[in-house]
Amino acid sequence: MARVLLLAGVAAALVVAACQAKQQQPSASAIEGQWIYDNNCAECHENPQPDLHKQPPNLHGLFFRKALPSGALATNAQVRMTIVEGKGTMPAFAQRLRDQDVNDLIEYLHRLR
Amino acid sequence: MKSRSVLPFLLVLVTVLAACNRTTRYPLRGDVVAKSVATGEITVNHEDIPGFMAAMVMPYRVKDPAVVQQVEPGDKIAAEVVVGNDRSDYWLENVRITDRSGRGRVKTPTGSQMLMPGERVPDVTLINQDGRKIRLSDFAGKAVLVTFIYTRCPMPNFCPRLSSQFARIHNELRKSTEDYDKTHLLTISFDPKYDTSAVLHKYGLAYLDGDESGFSHWDFASTDPADLRRLALAFGLEYEEADNQISHTMSIVLVAPNGTVAKYWSTDWTWTELMASLQHAALSAAPAGGE
Repeated sequence: MARVLLLAGVAAALVVAACQAKQQQPSASAIEGQWIYDNNCAECHENPQPDLHKQPPNLHGLFFRKALPSGALATNAQVRMTIVEGKGTMPAFAQRLRDQDVNDLIEYLHRLR
Repeated sequence: MKSRSVLPFLLVLVTVLAACNRTTRYPLRGDVVAKSVATGEITVNHEDIPGFMAAMVMPYRVKDPAVVQQVEPGDKIAAEVVVGNDRSDYWLENVRITDRSGRGRVKTPTGSQMLMPGERVPDVTLINQDGRKIRLSDFAGKAVLVTFIYTRCPMPNFCPRLSSQFARIHNELRKSTEDYDKTHLLTISFDPKYDTSAVLHKYGLAYLDGDESGFSHWDFASTDPADLRRLALAFGLEYEEADNQISHTMSIVLVAPNGTVAKYWSTDWTWTELMASLQHAALSAAPAGGE
């Protein structure tokens, strides 16, 4: 009996570990989103030029806080609006990024710590 | 003994400096359209430069001033574009003339239609951020700094840099009523389809820190494609839309109070230099209500 319990315990632990591993793997969408981030966002948001009128905020941990740098709630809809329409001196990415690109980018931003 | 201990330090210093001054080189091929010995620049109608710039007509600084003397419009050249860490800083090196047979037969009209200093700017009608019609002649008597942007430009070293530096100039000029009254800033969009008055208003306010009164000194405007083309030819601006992006050059034009071109800048400028030239040009304005 003890043996069976032990085996069941080991099996359960393996299942939990596998689930966690799966969660840590970025989805295809997030991988695509990283490419979009690197090519469209990183130049301003990772190492901003010091002579820009407003310093672009760092986006690491964006979705791990309640509010966005603008003070608005950190929701997908709010972030989507900022990307598409721009915000302050941040340019709009309307017509440059497709809907799916924005979805992928948001997926990646959710993982960006 | 002392010199031996200094040597490793120097080696480290040289290595660090070399790393700091990292540049990237891209091969360029194209036709010389115009040259300016005074500014040490040649304008090249070049092929695609993968990783740096789409094919376009663009002025480049040349490292070796002797090269500017040697090349002539119509020459085919091969060269290296050297791009500094700050991608807004680039110039040509190792320029070789590969074909001289086209001398004097320049194909692109840009070089020939670009206004020379002293020539009168076209009196184009624009629509500003408030939806109001403005003309370049409205600013007669003031020195005007004109530049071109599109609000969706994501390249921090191009339009965002231009608008950021114009904002600094605007804020500095504001400190002196005399400077402020005798000068004007004008930012023109080359994306009139997207950059409506409402979009330009929002964009301008971001650079004016939300102060609407700043629009009395700095207009953000667009115009119809035909007049935009006229202005672009007059001011040596190149822009081309592809895949929802606009590849473009930078052009800053100082228009004197008498409505003529005073000076151009493309790649090599600082906001302090632009502001000093603007203030200097404003001095040539007839004093308001003078005796």
